[in-house]
Amino acid sequence: MNRLHIPIENGTLQNGLKIVIVPDSSAPVVTVGVYYKIGFRLEPRGRSGFAHLFEHMMFQGSANAPKMQHIKLINSSGGLLNGSTHYDVTNYYESVPSNALDRVLWLEADRMRALKVDDENLRNQRDVVKEEVRVNVMNQPYGGFPWLDLPPVAFRNWANAHNFYGDFADLDAADLADVQAFFKTYYVPNNAVLLVLGDVKADEGIAMAKKYFSDIPAGSPPPFADPEEPKQTEERRGHVEEKFGTLPAMAVGYTIPPRRTADWCAMALLDQALHGGRAGRTYRDLVLEKQIAVEVDGGIDDIFGYNGPTQLVTRILHRPEYSAERTLAEFDVVIREVQEKGISEDELEQLKVKWRSDYFSTLEGGRGGMPRYGLMHLLACFTLFDNDPQLVNSILDGFLAVKRAEIQQVAKKYLRPEHRAIVFRTPVKNVKEAA
Amino acid sequence: MAVFAVEVLAHAPALTAERPVTWPKRTKTRLANGLEVVLAESHSIPKFHGELFFRSGNAAAIKRGVDLAEMTAAVVRTGTARRTSRQIEEDLRRMGADLSCGAGADTSAISFSGLSELAEPLLTLVNELARDASFPEPEFERERRQKLEEVKLSRTQPGFLATERLRKVLFGSHPYAQVAPSEAQVNAYQRDDLLGVYHDFYTPENALLVMVGDFDSAATLKSIEKVFGLWTGKKPPTSTGAELPRPKGRHVYVVHVPGAVQAQILIGCHSITRKNRDWVKLGLTNSLFGGAFNSRLVMNIREDKGYTYSPRSSVHPLQQHGYFTISAAVRSDVVAASLTEMFYELNKLRALPVPEQELADARNYLSGIFSMGLATQNGLLSQLATIALNDLPDDYLETYRDKLKSLTPSDVLASARKWFTSPDMQIVVVGDRAQIQEQATLFGETTVYDATGTVI
Repeated sequence: MNRLHIPIENGTLQNGLKIVIVPDSSAPVVTVGVYYKIGFRLEPRGRSGFAHLFEHMMFQGSANAPKMQHIKLINSSGGLLNGSTHYDVTNYYESVPSNALDRVLWLEADRMRALKVDDENLRNQRDVVKEEVRVNVMNQPYGGFPWLDLPPVAFRNWANAHNFYGDFADLDAADLADVQAFFKTYYVPNNAVLLVLGDVKADEGIAMAKKYFSDIPAGSPPPFADPEEPKQTEERRGHVEEKFGTLPAMAVGYTIPPRRTADWCAMALLDQALHGGRAGRTYRDLVLEKQIAVEVDGGIDDIFGYNGPTQLVTRILHRPEYSAERTLAEFDVVIREVQEKGISEDELEQLKVKWRSDYFSTLEGGRGGMPRYGLMHLLACFTLFDNDPQLVNSILDGFLAVKRAEIQQVAKKYLRPEHRAIVFRTPVKNVKEAA
Repeated sequence: MAVFAVEVLAHAPALTAERPVTWPKRTKTRLANGLEVVLAESHSIPKFHGELFFRSGNAAAIKRGVDLAEMTAAVVRTGTARRTSRQIEEDLRRMGADLSCGAGADTSAISFSGLSELAEPLLTLVNELARDASFPEPEFERERRQKLEEVKLSRTQPGFLATERLRKVLFGSHPYAQVAPSEAQVNAYQRDDLLGVYHDFYTPENALLVMVGDFDSAATLKSIEKVFGLWTGKKPPTSTGAELPRPKGRHVYVVHVPGAVQAQILIGCHSITRKNRDWVKLGLTNSLFGGAFNSRLVMNIREDKGYTYSPRSSVHPLQQHGYFTISAAVRSDVVAASLTEMFYELNKLRALPVPEQELADARNYLSGIFSMGLATQNGLLSQLATIALNDLPDDYLETYRDKLKSLTPSDVLASARKWFTSPDMQIVVVGDRAQIQEQATLFGETTVYDATGTVI
């Protein structure tokens, strides 16, 4: 039951573009993704938010498909499309009826070959991005908490620590030359993977990939800023004002062990022990039992999808009658308990069953209604970071082999003050009681 | 130029022949106790998704308390005759399961998913929650305190404030007007009120169980009969709510949020339910207007003008009535400009037939995403539930795309004229009044509220 047998065909074109095909003809639908190994962690200094702004520009026109054509051609084929910017990758993806596969590959190849945008497009998307930041962050209670608040406190290397959505001054400073330079540097076939999942035969998929992508010239291998962090020696703290919400909040982030190590697997199960819904220890103790907090959640976000320093984060909104220090002390009690007593065999078994079940859901998980998005995301990250998409079938093994003692050990080794950062988000006002 | 009229490029590859959609086989039955069951197999992952619906929600409980069905649902998972709250949560984890309880305007539901190999224990727990929830007093009090905080938090969210105001305007004294309780109303909840709702709503005659997943339908049906077969209970009486207000002319409702750095616009009017014969027509009309990325609204105020990130229009079909909305979070200095473009696009759709090509594109879009929505367990479950809860015909899945294909520009024109009642659209804008009120007032007589709903 644990072993997966997802059929995966993969290879590399002469220009360095990696190809992953997962045939499955159960529905006449195909999901296509192109992942570039560039995310907001590695955007240029003085250009915070640029990787994301650039992602928007990729929908603004390419050599043979001017502005709106891309969206129009996908939607009118009966398909959906989107893109998203992550720490270490940026993706562009479409789900379409399988009779539109040629068209989708043509479009993706066209914009990999040549972006064609002008100042007007850039102004337009800069405005759109600013409204995106306002609607998601600046005009929402607890907006950006803690994903934008924690990195500047936790990290010292600019790559890990800057504002990923972008300071507006930096967004304003970005010009067309930046757009073209970024495109030329990072959006080369040898820095990307093309994925096709669904109603296509493996050999057909590979032939189509060759047809549309093989004449795109390779670029120089892109330079990558070193995301390594200087060694942290003491706890770090920061404060951010909460403009709209009335509950005090805090986020505690512990830097976790490098991916694909034994400690990392144990840390993932420890994450499940601490944050797995209402049974998770933080929620159970702080919300359900002691009733100090109103909301507790967190974990390792997108555990397979990053390739540099990242954190296990607990996000707490607590009752104003408990001070921040008191709340933190109660959180520390939860951590200390795992460190001192470990977990029972029964709890470990529960964690593993739930982890396995969640993993299956991740694979099937859609995004905006697109089937197999989750599987595509994992395949892309395993290809770009590990050069091994087949890991999708085997990576569960490491998590299911974790032993009780290992969980206690990683709790002791990593959940320490000198590995953590805390951001306090403190309300500036109180709202009147509603009538 | 408001709309980009771009011809499809000559050198873009044409669509190849369409491969047929295999519509999922459904098993539909009713147990002797009245429980309606719909099952469909989907073997994409070794899991299953299920939802046990009760055909009564917050609207049916309104006389006993605002949002009381939701409060009842929240407490259902906190204890049964045989398990404590903590046991329930640990048992769920042991089964690799997720579960949530909630209520909307028209239904209450326990929704769950888990590993196929552990389906029967999970169904046993769901059955226990549906029949033997014990509503422990301390758990109820904790959930009440949680609810109070939730209510406070939602009053700081622009999207919530906009929806709350529009629903009050469109639904008046009908239960659909109430989307959230006040703190005083939460404080007034009694445990007996919850028990009453639970007793009346959570019965097999009032229930629908939908399951989709990696299972054998015949064996699963046997499990369901074994687990749920002895449950008994009558269907509660239903009542329809009060007459709706019929607002004539545009009126503006500003919700003042001091310090807001953006304006949340939400405009709307009455619309139809899924049972209405115009439903598919209106869906297509909405898709052309603002229901898709490639729609007129998005192309205009996002891709051309850059006023907003997230413009969208939607038809919200509740059981008794529906309503239509257009929403966008815009820069505060372009409130008037955005409203102008919204009404321009509405009026244009009401005045001129859509070009054949644009219509064909929209039909293709809806047709494609419809079958795509069935490709995941969750997506299929939600479609099957919609069909059953709205008593739509059994062949709804198979015939939807044909209905869509038959629609013409004159259908869309008629539908826009009938249902996008531009002259009577009600306008809500949430933001800092100093920056938005003067602009908003250009569109109608204006009333200003604070976040608590008090006129200021």
